[in-house]
Amino acid sequence: MSILLQMKDIHKVYPNGTAANRGVDLTIHEGEIHALVGENGAGKSTLMKIMFGLEAPTSGTIEYKGAPVTFHGPKDAIRHGMGMVHQHFMLAPSLTVSENIVLGEEPRKGPLSLFRDRNKESQEIEKLIQTYGLKVDPQAKVETIPVGQKQRVEILKVLYKGARLLILDEPTAVLTPQETDELFDSIKALIKQGYTIIFITHKLREVMEISNRVTVLKAGKTIATLLTKDTNPEEISRLMVGREILFRVDKQPSVPQDIVLSIKELCASDDKGAPALCGITLDIRAGEVVGIAGVEGNGQTELVETITGLRKAISGEIRYFNEELIGKSIAQIRAMKIGHVPEDRQTTGSSLTSTIAENLILDHYRNPEFKWGPFQSKKKIKQFTKIMMDVYDVRAQNEDVMAGSLSGGNLQKVVIARELSKNPKLLIASQPTRGVDIGAIEFIHREIIKKRDGGAAVLLVSAELSEVMALSDRIAVVYEGEIVAVLENSSELTEEEIGYYMLGLGIKKQKEEVAAQ
Amino acid sequence: MKTGNATILEFAGIAVAVILALLCGFAVILVTSDEPLNALASLLLGPVSNLFNIGTVLNKAVPLIFTGLALAVVFQSGVFSMGAEGQLYAGGFLGALAGVYIHGLTPWLHLPLVLICAMVGGALFAAIAGLLKTYANANEIVTTLMLNFVAILTTSYFVNNMFKDPNSGGFARMPYVNPEILLGKLFPGFPAHAGIVLALLAVVVVYLMLYKTNVGYELRLVGKSSRFAHYGGIATNRVVLTSIMISGAFAGLAGIVEILGVHGTYKDNFSAGLGFDGIIIALLARNHPIGVLIAALFYAYIQVGAQTMQVGSDMPREVAVIMQVMLVLLVSSQAIFVYLKQKYGQKAVK
Amino acid sequence: MWQSLWSQIMDLTLVVVMLRFMTPILLSALGGLISEIAGVINIGLEGLMLISAFTSIAVGSATGSWVLGTLAGVAASVMICYGMGFFSIKLKVDIIIAGFAVNIFGSGFTIFMMSRIYGVSGNYSPSGLNNIPAINIPFIQHIPVLGKLLSGHSLMVWIALISVIFCMLLIYRTPYGVHLRSVGEAPEAAKSLGIPVNRIQYSALAWSGVFAGLAGAYLSMGMTSMFVKDMTAGTGFLALAVVLLGNRNPAGIFFGAIIFGLASAVTTLVQTTPGSPIPSQFIQMIPYVVTIIALVFFAVRKKRRRIVLAQG
Repeated sequence: MSILLQMKDIHKVYPNGTAANRGVDLTIHEGEIHALVGENGAGKSTLMKIMFGLEAPTSGTIEYKGAPVTFHGPKDAIRHGMGMVHQHFMLAPSLTVSENIVLGEEPRKGPLSLFRDRNKESQEIEKLIQTYGLKVDPQAKVETIPVGQKQRVEILKVLYKGARLLILDEPTAVLTPQETDELFDSIKALIKQGYTIIFITHKLREVMEISNRVTVLKAGKTIATLLTKDTNPEEISRLMVGREILFRVDKQPSVPQDIVLSIKELCASDDKGAPALCGITLDIRAGEVVGIAGVEGNGQTELVETITGLRKAISGEIRYFNEELIGKSIAQIRAMKIGHVPEDRQTTGSSLTSTIAENLILDHYRNPEFKWGPFQSKKKIKQFTKIMMDVYDVRAQNEDVMAGSLSGGNLQKVVIARELSKNPKLLIASQPTRGVDIGAIEFIHREIIKKRDGGAAVLLVSAELSEVMALSDRIAVVYEGEIVAVLENSSELTEEEIGYYMLGLGIKKQKEEVAAQ
Repeated sequence: MKTGNATILEFAGIAVAVILALLCGFAVILVTSDEPLNALASLLLGPVSNLFNIGTVLNKAVPLIFTGLALAVVFQSGVFSMGAEGQLYAGGFLGALAGVYIHGLTPWLHLPLVLICAMVGGALFAAIAGLLKTYANANEIVTTLMLNFVAILTTSYFVNNMFKDPNSGGFARMPYVNPEILLGKLFPGFPAHAGIVLALLAVVVVYLMLYKTNVGYELRLVGKSSRFAHYGGIATNRVVLTSIMISGAFAGLAGIVEILGVHGTYKDNFSAGLGFDGIIIALLARNHPIGVLIAALFYAYIQVGAQTMQVGSDMPREVAVIMQVMLVLLVSSQAIFVYLKQKYGQKAVK
Repeated sequence: MWQSLWSQIMDLTLVVVMLRFMTPILLSALGGLISEIAGVINIGLEGLMLISAFTSIAVGSATGSWVLGTLAGVAASVMICYGMGFFSIKLKVDIIIAGFAVNIFGSGFTIFMMSRIYGVSGNYSPSGLNNIPAINIPFIQHIPVLGKLLSGHSLMVWIALISVIFCMLLIYRTPYGVHLRSVGEAPEAAKSLGIPVNRIQYSALAWSGVFAGLAGAYLSMGMTSMFVKDMTAGTGFLALAVVLLGNRNPAGIFFGAIIFGLASAVTTLVQTTPGSPIPSQFIQMIPYVVTIIALVFFAVRKKRRRIVLAQG
């Protein structure tokens, strides 16, 4: 097999200093299905952007069919015969399937004609559909067809443009198992016709099922490229998640007391209305940290939002000290000494164009102590903010600085300060240290443990498995909206074991065992 | 220091925009006038050439301050209402009814009552757009534009029919309001009416409301980050409705003050765009009440200048419109302000 | 009163008047439609029409040619649209604010020019103006019903009707039309395929200038023979309402323009009919109220559909 694409020692440092790629090597053979795996933040999407000409690498070389190339934009990549199926569909909803496929290269009635040749268009598309078995109604409007078909449209789009190398960015993330099977059939059909496919995913089952070779990225570097038939999920998952210990937290064994939060058979749907949580049952006691581990998008967001009142539950119950939370307003829930560090501090956790003080008083401004007659007491607020900034080590000129001008770590400390200063009996912390510098990480971890030792129940959600392991006393693993395992965190527990559940392998194994019996 | 610098840059940017817009106007005058210097002089100096003109500037500024405040409030909550014009009619109308048809009260009770009626009228009319937005999720730009016509036409019907002064002849107007509650001249020989005092008071009230009270805190928070406010337990729909109604109340005040200070009664079509001018004022002022005061005075100055220019030279006063348009466009150009911040903001921080 | 109205319906006066009122609404709404489809909704239609109305009558009366007048009006309107594009696309002024500015500009600038050129402030009515001609169709004009229905309308009425078909072809049958729609709906997708998003948006604004320009020319040189300050009197806002109700489709625009044209026609007929029991103000209000109701209807339906989807 000849080498189609080779990327050597790719580095990418963004202007803000983030090093997303720190030495990636990738070799794609013609006619193979090459899986690219890695955790969130491993540098997969940056690499793809570089490959497709959407970003320029800081250093490194790309060779296509043996010749060095520089892509100045997606057009260049398309011209070389590359096509990308984005994770978020790039489709115009009210246009028909057919219009979306030919967009940008519509057949005309003649070389000089101003009109579309719709006969030719439908013939060509019909041919494409027949050849590759990607069944979809060309005349349907894109907004009316299901997700699986939308993806076929995306694939047809790049095929129509003459792509020979297809990059599929987490194509199964939005698909049902049946749709995934159909997608795999199409991919196999494409390979038979001589196409080459790069398949980005973090689902190891799929890697094993479909790929010829697999490249593992971790922290912006290529860790290994393996022949799929010579490896196994355990090895890949160890390569993916195994890492130098980033987090070291000094903590005593927990002393769990009474149940603070008791979730029973909770179900909720995502923003699009699809089921995201089903049958979640979980107890959290005072004085313990329960960590939620799982690949992102497996229901973590919905779980946190449902508990905090931001999302409506479909069924089930959430009891907090024997009081039902479902049906209560966000304001009521916040007033019940429940702290919530939301996963996105920039859009949800803070108002970037407001001052630090305005961000900090969110729970206190109605408090008579902070008022002076009908007015807000500037003095009290200032005092309070000063103390908060001191205690939580927020580094800024003064309390009137815009939150948006703070560094990630300092902004997160503002959020932490607000949510912890209300002395929560239940603290829900979602991605509490994402994108935060080491110093701030340690500080935030210490504060969370302090709250635990002070008798609060803590629910920690993090995409960083090592963080979950460093802080949690118990770990619940979610997969596709269900809790697939609840594990006591002990020194024997390994990342591999948790990773195994996170990737849905635990369920498969159970099913196999059931089948075997 | 960062905030300080940002504010200064913003201020400098607006100043540059104002100067550029004025220069555009000057250029038009220089090119099209036969006596450009004369025209320019009367444009720039006319408004301050005598007490009468100074008073006129103040009188013109009064309704603009009110509508500017009205829109500043609603814009701060993230709602792009264009409805001040209609709310002004609705409020002015209800206020005028109270002024004309309620008799026997002492002026000290009657005037506040009339003002309150105007505020209620404006607020209730604004509530229609507010409810349409919060409950039916209807685009506020369109609903407010349409509701303007509804208000203007409805009041027009009433003032042409049941509330028409029988002695008004061909004019569609109400009987005159109780003369004791008219906003009189501040000083003899100086035409500025007492509305300017109310306007200044309104600036202070809105400033306090926006920046010193919980209502203002919630309102601004919803405008800046509705998601954050929602997460914090603030009922964002209620806040939006409140802000639209407060805005309507100030638009209503604009109407009644214009009636009590200038017209003496409700006249059909008396506003002629004050509510739309308020949009420009609020944009210029970056929605800050103190800025509204300055912007309204500046705007009125240009208008009076344009008028004296029309009288004193061959230039029609519509030249001012060219300046207004350039002002609106330049002040709302995000590209210019982002550019300024990138170029000078970084250095300033370092 | 009812009798008089009824007789006007019967003798087709209503239809004729309706066509007259519909034409400027329809034309400018088609312009607004193209801009909306490309994601740069032009709310400056009112101002554009005024500028074109003035320019076309000025050039038309100076040259004695309605063709040159109309072309000049369209050109002026297109030029303003390019300026609008410069400010909104290049300098990142909110497109709504840019449109708002064009409306103020249109009103003020035409009064300014009227006073500079003709020394009048209220209206300008040149004598001996060659209006956009009416089309009398031979033979048919003498057939009783058909004659009144088809013959004797201004050329611009026909242009407006043909424009509906033109827009349909443009939007649905040309690659350019597909690009317009993709730019408005999914600019990222369009960009990823190498479609020049900015250039398409400029061109969409230019189209809105063309149609608003035709509408303006008709106002001063077809519907009337003069320019009156602020003579659009809300036509541009009506057109905007039609755009929003037209379901992004020229046929919907046509339908909406007929309804609003009809409302305006009834208003005029009622106003000119003595002893009307319905105040004209309330009839004038119909289009605006209809717009609000329709907007609420659409919004509620959308919300319901989302709920149904969520439950299914």
